[in-house]
Amino acid sequence: MNNIFRLKIALQTMKDYWKITIILTFLFMAMAAMYAGMFPSFEKSLIEMMDSEFIESFNFFPHADQMHTYVGFLTLELYNIFWLLLLAIMFGFIASSCIAKEIEGKTIDILMSNPVSRKQIVLEKFMGLIPMIIIINFSMMVVIIGITVALNESLNYVNLLVVHLISIPYFLAVISIGLLFSAIIDDKMKSSIFMIAILIGMFIINSISLMASDYEVLGFFSFLHYFDTFNVLEFGEIDGAGLVVFISVTVICLIGAIVYFEKRDIEIT
Amino acid sequence: MTNIIVACPQCKYQMSVQGNPGERIELICPKCKIYGFFQFPEESSTAPTEDVIVVKNLTKYYGKIKGIEDLTFSVRKGEIFGFLGPNGAGKTTTIRTLLGYLHPTNGEAYILGKNIAHNIVNIKRDVGYIPGELNLYGHLTGRQFLDYFGSLRNKQLPLLTDLLQIFDVPLDRKIKGYSRGMKQKLGIIQAFMDDPDIVIMDEPTSGLDPLLQQKFYDFLRGQKKKGKTIFFSSHVLSEVDKICDRIGIIRNGKLVALEDVETLKEKMGKLFRVKIKERPEKFTGPKNMKVRDGLIEFVTSGDIDYWVKQLSHYTILDLEIHAFSLEDIFIHYYEGQA
Repeated sequence: MNNIFRLKIALQTMKDYWKITIILTFLFMAMAAMYAGMFPSFEKSLIEMMDSEFIESFNFFPHADQMHTYVGFLTLELYNIFWLLLLAIMFGFIASSCIAKEIEGKTIDILMSNPVSRKQIVLEKFMGLIPMIIIINFSMMVVIIGITVALNESLNYVNLLVVHLISIPYFLAVISIGLLFSAIIDDKMKSSIFMIAILIGMFIINSISLMASDYEVLGFFSFLHYFDTFNVLEFGEIDGAGLVVFISVTVICLIGAIVYFEKRDIEIT
Repeated sequence: MTNIIVACPQCKYQMSVQGNPGERIELICPKCKIYGFFQFPEESSTAPTEDVIVVKNLTKYYGKIKGIEDLTFSVRKGEIFGFLGPNGAGKTTTIRTLLGYLHPTNGEAYILGKNIAHNIVNIKRDVGYIPGELNLYGHLTGRQFLDYFGSLRNKQLPLLTDLLQIFDVPLDRKIKGYSRGMKQKLGIIQAFMDDPDIVIMDEPTSGLDPLLQQKFYDFLRGQKKKGKTIFFSSHVLSEVDKICDRIGIIRNGKLVALEDVETLKEKMGKLFRVKIKERPEKFTGPKNMKVRDGLIEFVTSGDIDYWVKQLSHYTILDLEIHAFSLEDIFIHYYEGQA
């Protein structure tokens, strides 16, 4: 039983994704620097463009009317697309392949020849992905702070920290869904495609719910509905329901992944 | 009540004594009249030959497709057990069910006295395994791989140095650059490095050159001498013949033979191969007689004399009588199979 606290599989998972972590970190740091740094050159034209028609055409994004402010620009360009969608796709892709690739690549046989339980494999794979989330998350925060100071823009740094803190349960929920797919589907490509479809689907659902008030209720099925980065950055509003949703999804998906993985046959064909 | 033959300590006269386990009885030697006590031994809790793998009616269906059906056998401590069968007979399914990768549809199995259904993680502390389709982590070097697995075993690795000497692998190269033989060697090293009580192997010598196979057999014999148990599947009959104490033959998911290699050979009888000048059809042999390329072939157990005398009525051009090789036995069990 003491084996599970030694986290050797988690450590190995971390090592396996070390290079990807560094690449993604630099990529997202560069992206953050670029978008935040671009704001001054866009600011003027954005203010001029801010008539109701223009805003209307962007209404599938939350808070499109704030696009001309620094916080609004950051939210729209950076957080909504690159953070909540693209980075989530990256994490989802990695998580949804991490068990499936061991089965597809048949390394699961040799891994399970060790005294490790199936539960332990799922849990440690999950834990092994957490450092990647934390590193990418906070390095991007540091870049935003740096650029904001350099541009002499105003930004509430406490709220910025809160955004990145809430990001953690958000991404944990994403990777736990990925792990659930990974435990069920042996084909890592198929499992990743399912995961990406869900994330893009959530994005679309949220956009629809914002555009057409008839479909507002659809928004409840999207993670993005529970994480309004603009409200957090600008007003420090924390969506408690959102946190509950992210944490419960994480717990439910993890339990689901463990139960399914324990019960299933591990076939190699 | 048990009967035991007791020898008189003085005159060595042998007498039969009746009693219960643990009972102490008075005895007088009928010959030299010496008086004494005899204590019956306690009933031992462990059987004299300890079965380390016990398989009872083990059945595995993949949906409606039969994998294995109603397998019952056991493997004794300190033996090398060969599990034979052609491709697709159910060897791998048996091994993977035993090791908890597949959940049995029916039946149960015990390894080292522990039920595989509830104790598989504990069992794996004392059991090594070499998968048939050996896939190792290509992105790790041999050394990183062994370090990782050493940390997962979480125990001493007393055989690691020896194994690395016998099965030399380029430890600092990434495994994806390894040849098939090198991977197989690394698979052997990881299975034996913590000196487990049992090692289960699925066709372990595939990919090894004859010289390495020899080294591997020697290593296995050494492990056997130390009281370790080896269970392995194979379709290479010569190797099974060379190193196995007992074999099980599986066909279509069912066990068709379970025997000592030597006993099996004896039981199979002798193989006659005769060439006669007359037309082969003229000779009426036993039921199993066949004519192949003008040669008469049949199998007989025991009554060699009778058949030699029968043959003496013909003009014999060539005669061969030999014991069954494992290969003949194997073919015998598979002949007539669709």
